[in-house]
Amino acid sequence: MIAIQHEDVDIGRLIENAKQPGTGAVVVFDGIVRDDDIREMELEAYEEVALQELGKIAEEAKKLHTLFHVDIVHRIGRLSVGDNILIIVVSAGHRPQAYAGSRYIIEEIKKGVPIWKKELRKDGDRWVPGEHPHGSGKPRS
Amino acid sequence: MTVKVRFFARFRELLGTDILVEKKSGVVLAALVKDIAREKKEGYDAIFDENGNFREFVIVMRNGKRLEPADTATVMVAEGDEIAVFPPVAGG
Repeated sequence: MIAIQHEDVDIGRLIENAKQPGTGAVVVFDGIVRDDDIREMELEAYEEVALQELGKIAEEAKKLHTLFHVDIVHRIGRLSVGDNILIIVVSAGHRPQAYAGSRYIIEEIKKGVPIWKKELRKDGDRWVPGEHPHGSGKPRS
Repeated sequence: MTVKVRFFARFRELLGTDILVEKKSGVVLAALVKDIAREKKEGYDAIFDENGNFREFVIVMRNGKRLEPADTATVMVAEGDEIAVFPPVAGG
């Protein structure tokens, strides 16, 4: 499942679906809205492009790390502290591939997928600055 | 010729988004965006520097593909293009 959506997702169901024949490890990454003195968070995406890029990242991760299955669900809209933002579920034959594949995916998402977060704070709202200025995220197309 | 310009995040707050522009003849991408951004000084200043160039951190896409900064000053927009302008991404 590769999705950008407002709704939360059933992580348990994703884990079960990820268990393909030969699976020895499933790794779940669950990015959560952290309690950093914020009230809520708003997420925005250039959806058409972001979805394509998530799909390409999933395919790259599968090839590079011999993954059997990849799910990436990135939420958008208004979220509260403790809510799931991004869920990545990968499966592989062995744990080194599963850990490495999961890590690869989150780092690639942070480099270049067009999604932004705005922290809604008591003392004023703030767009979270991107970690990678223009030029460091190589085009996938 | 109709071109759509989309801004995201802070740029969207300042300038709006899904802006349809009608042009009679070819126009360079940077000039097209500049014309829109000039509507609001704060928006213009967020995107362009004092020399009228895209600020270093600004990302520009044409039909879903990122452009190199230098190309924004030479690429001519075409009918049906979708131009996106946004700050560094912060997903995940």
